[in-house]
Amino acid sequence: MKNFGRILKYLKRNIWLMILAMIFAVISAVSALFIPFFIGDAIDGIAALVSEDMAMSAESVSLGMQGILIDLLVTACLVIESAISLQLMSVINNKVTYKVVRDIRSEAFAKVQTLPLGYLDRHPSGEVVSKIITDVEQFADGLLLGFSQFFTSVITIVGTLVLMLTINVRVALLVLVLTPMSFFVAKFISKHTYDMFKVQSQTRAQQTALIDEIIGNEKVVKSFCHEQNALEQFDEINERLRVCSLKAVFYSSLTNPCTRFVNAVVYAVVALTGGFAVLSGGLSIGMLSTLLCYANQYTKPFNEITGVITELQNAFACADRIFEFLDEKIEKDTRVLEDETVAGKVEGLVEMKDVAFSYVADKPLIENLNLKVLPGQNVAIVGPTGCGKTTLINLLMRFYDVTAGSISIDGTEIRDMSRHELRSRFGMVLQETWIKEGTVLDNILIGKKDATREEAIAAAKEVHAHNFIKRLPQGYDTVLEEDGGGLSVGQKQLLCIARVMLMQPSMLILDEATSNIDTRTEILISRAFNKLMENRTSFVVAHRLSTIKNADIILVMKDGHIIEQGNHESLLAKGGFYKELYMSQYQAT
Amino acid sequence: MKKLLVYLKSSKKECILAPLFKMLEASFELFIPLVIANLIDKGLKGGQTSVIVQSFGLLVLLGLIGLVAAVTAQYFAAKAAVNFATELRHSLFEHLLKLGFPEIDNIGTSTMITRMTSDVNQLQNGVNMFLRLFLRSPFVVFGAMIMAFTIDVKSAAIFLIIIIVLSIVVFGLMAINVRQVKNVQKKLENVTSSTRESLKGVRVIRAFCLEQEETQEFNNDNNLLMKALNRAGNIAALMNPLTYVMINMAIIYLIFVGTNQVSEGLLTQGQVVALYNYMSQILVELIKLANLIVLINKALACGNRVESVFEIEASQKEGSAEVPRNEEAVRFEHASLVYPESSEETLTDINFSVAKGETVGIIGGTGSGKSSLVHLIPRFYDATAGNVYVDGVNVNEYSFEQLRKKVGVVMQKAVLFKGTIKSNMDWAMENATEADYTEAISNAQATEVAEGKGGIDGEVEQAGKNYSGGQRQRLSIARTLLGKPQILILDDSSSALDYLTDYNLRKAIKELDYKPTVFIVSQRSASIMHADKIVVLDDGKIVGIGKHEELLKTCQVYQEIYESQYCDQNSIAENAEKEVR
Repeated sequence: MKNFGRILKYLKRNIWLMILAMIFAVISAVSALFIPFFIGDAIDGIAALVSEDMAMSAESVSLGMQGILIDLLVTACLVIESAISLQLMSVINNKVTYKVVRDIRSEAFAKVQTLPLGYLDRHPSGEVVSKIITDVEQFADGLLLGFSQFFTSVITIVGTLVLMLTINVRVALLVLVLTPMSFFVAKFISKHTYDMFKVQSQTRAQQTALIDEIIGNEKVVKSFCHEQNALEQFDEINERLRVCSLKAVFYSSLTNPCTRFVNAVVYAVVALTGGFAVLSGGLSIGMLSTLLCYANQYTKPFNEITGVITELQNAFACADRIFEFLDEKIEKDTRVLEDETVAGKVEGLVEMKDVAFSYVADKPLIENLNLKVLPGQNVAIVGPTGCGKTTLINLLMRFYDVTAGSISIDGTEIRDMSRHELRSRFGMVLQETWIKEGTVLDNILIGKKDATREEAIAAAKEVHAHNFIKRLPQGYDTVLEEDGGGLSVGQKQLLCIARVMLMQPSMLILDEATSNIDTRTEILISRAFNKLMENRTSFVVAHRLSTIKNADIILVMKDGHIIEQGNHESLLAKGGFYKELYMSQYQAT
Repeated sequence: MKKLLVYLKSSKKECILAPLFKMLEASFELFIPLVIANLIDKGLKGGQTSVIVQSFGLLVLLGLIGLVAAVTAQYFAAKAAVNFATELRHSLFEHLLKLGFPEIDNIGTSTMITRMTSDVNQLQNGVNMFLRLFLRSPFVVFGAMIMAFTIDVKSAAIFLIIIIVLSIVVFGLMAINVRQVKNVQKKLENVTSSTRESLKGVRVIRAFCLEQEETQEFNNDNNLLMKALNRAGNIAALMNPLTYVMINMAIIYLIFVGTNQVSEGLLTQGQVVALYNYMSQILVELIKLANLIVLINKALACGNRVESVFEIEASQKEGSAEVPRNEEAVRFEHASLVYPESSEETLTDINFSVAKGETVGIIGGTGSGKSSLVHLIPRFYDATAGNVYVDGVNVNEYSFEQLRKKVGVVMQKAVLFKGTIKSNMDWAMENATEADYTEAISNAQATEVAEGKGGIDGEVEQAGKNYSGGQRQRLSIARTLLGKPQILILDDSSSALDYLTDYNLRKAIKELDYKPTVFIVSQRSASIMHADKIVVLDDGKIVGIGKHEELLKTCQVYQEIYESQYCDQNSIAENAEKEVR
């Protein structure tokens, strides 16, 4: 509930629409309430026609008929009025609800674009997607539709009560006392089924985990002929699930019959007390039928409110998660240089001074890192997995910020540049390829939005991607699915490289960029890169040592430190870790 | 959907009893208006107090019987539905495990998981609701109509008309709604996928400063979704007011006609009230029925999806050959492979044989067919032309179990399962001795890894999350080694190992006392250069077979691969470029 104020903020923009919806809700509910009243009156009219024996004059009969007709006409008007208001209310509610959903989603998505990578790396993308999609939907559905239902229900309850009181106080009071019983019965059942549902959802989660594991890796399962064991394991959980599901499903399904029984009792009580009231002359038969009708309707909003309360609770829980997400700290550019347009003349002098960094506060990863890269130098970074190679790239691109020390480019601290400015100086290719839903051409144009088709094709030719693109069904206009669907990993990587080739960046970062491409093609590409990189600073992370032999500087990293630094010959001569790594590829059995 | 009904077979009794008890409950509900009519006409008009008390007792009794009938019905329905889901899940899981690799590729993991979980849950819910309501609602609707006819034929005609008109409106609206909901679903998928896409590509998006464009695109999808939601929501909202107006108009008409009937003495006042009550009952039930149909519709869609999985049959049939002795471990005879859904050959006319105990290196560029080639040996895929023999027998003649115990594969992607290191290794061989585990682990260079987790009882989390890629790779090698396969296939399974560990691993395998035939698939020249036989693949064809030294002299592709990893790059690049042009 702590976010109640914030929720109101979203509603405020639509406050007039919401007031209008409430007005319609009142009109609709109140009109609906009067309908049984006029029908009861008409029924009384019928009684009057008969009871005044045969002696009734033709005049009074036609008068009575007229009364009934008026009652029925009024009823018809009320029905139509109520129906129209109901529809208008729904339309407005839909409009507001879906607008709020859209607004929150847009806000959340924009948030994703500004969140620090630290947050996104720590949280699985499925979790964030579920916040933006599922939570937002449940929040809006539960809150707004729940609210309007709650509002209508309350009006109906109060209205019914008032009308019953005006007809017959005793009967009304009895209904007032008895009806909440159905409410308690429902609550009693839901309280006792809660544990059963918990067991059910836990068992279900276990089963899903098993399915995920076995089906997700079915090829391994099959290669070991492990199917039978897997099935036995599955059946054990399946049987447990059967038992606890039956309990949960059955006991929870008791709510309906039980509340209906309570309603039946209330109905009978009204018939009884109302009947005596009619005999004693305090009530007409038509009004008794009206009371019975109300008694029947009266319990319905109570049941609805029970449902709405669970939905509201859920909506608030979702709201908490959404707002927590929207409140995450975002990255801001601290200072933006006045004249960023000098970017064209990037020299490419990169300096790292006493850099320290850690992903987790008390586990230092990189410490005391010092490095000076002269313009145009080619830096290769090698070392075992987890030594901090990729982290270094993360720091250069400011995906993460250093915890101590500084990094500067051409003498400017990178924290003094805007992130866009910094990043637009680098062309980057990662091991993980990313293909956008769209055509091949769109995907290449990511490198340079305003490039022409010819330029894009030229770039593709240069990285030897043209041959395979040409063979696609629609060539450059082939639409690729999210994740690149039919393309091989190597082909996807070629597309990513084409982007950078098109971009012609001032500096280049290749993080295992060619690991999925065979060595022959890799050489062809690296030649293209070499041409591109002449006199441009570049950073290359690779585990294939042969690809980095020609680097100007080789950084050998281990456990977050640069343990060796130099060129290929000097490092070999030194006879240290690099030599050991390098020689191991020549040893064989 | 029809075929899934067999899973209700064992719950036949429940499937009959549940709706029957529901009908019983409904029929008692139909008596209530009659009781009230009697109360008004005899009790109130006739002034008999006893009738009033009797009516009260009768109403409570009817409620009580209804309660008992309903509870019984709910129990049987729940039991049938839960049993149905349990059996269905079992069969589905069993079926999925029977499928071969080609089918698995085709369906995709996430689809299979959805079918097993949310689709089956929806079906369970659908069966439950169907058993509860499918007889009850029509029974009440028509029951109310028949009761009305027994009261007064003339005024009851309106019932028949209103039921027909209401059905048209309710089902018509629903038909429109179903289509619109599909549209909404599609728009929602767009929004979801553009969210997922931008999360996956966050580094690239930021590196290329594409945040604005991405947000713009998302907002477009988001707006389209809002419009679709509004359209669907507004039509769906019409259901309530429309049915409400129609029923009430019918009631007005009923009373109008009733007035004349009463004044002519053909009908009592209590009977008019009863007719009025029946009309209200019909409205409530029709709405319930409409909701039920929406639910059933969803369940049917799920049912069809599940059924389509059942319809996929394993394309590979297994044999059951006696195992003969033969000096030849593996022979490929003009084998070719075309993957389903693909038009081009992945492997073309593969022809070579391997003697027992030999080590074979397989090398080639990305997509040259290295993995596909070794996958033919344990019959992960079947050769589309030609044959593959293991120990002189066509692989199709073995049972899967026979063949796959013989052939141990370490896959490219190393996978561990929740449990312990031991429980993972047991997959390859049950009842292994302590010494067997230690030996397999040490040969796989995983001794440190196991020790780091406290020995072979060390815990393995879901998907082996608590191990690094290299550690998983070594443990999955250990797992395969424990089974002591006669033919060992390492499918690029040392890619995450550094060269030194890779070297030690190869050495250990070479020294195995049971002398398996070994296939090593790799992109690294170093991993295969000392093999007895090296097979060089290019675009699915063998372009060279022989020892390292021979191939260096005779096979251009091999030379290039080798030189690309060891020598001066510029000279080869020039050669390669010449070739391309």
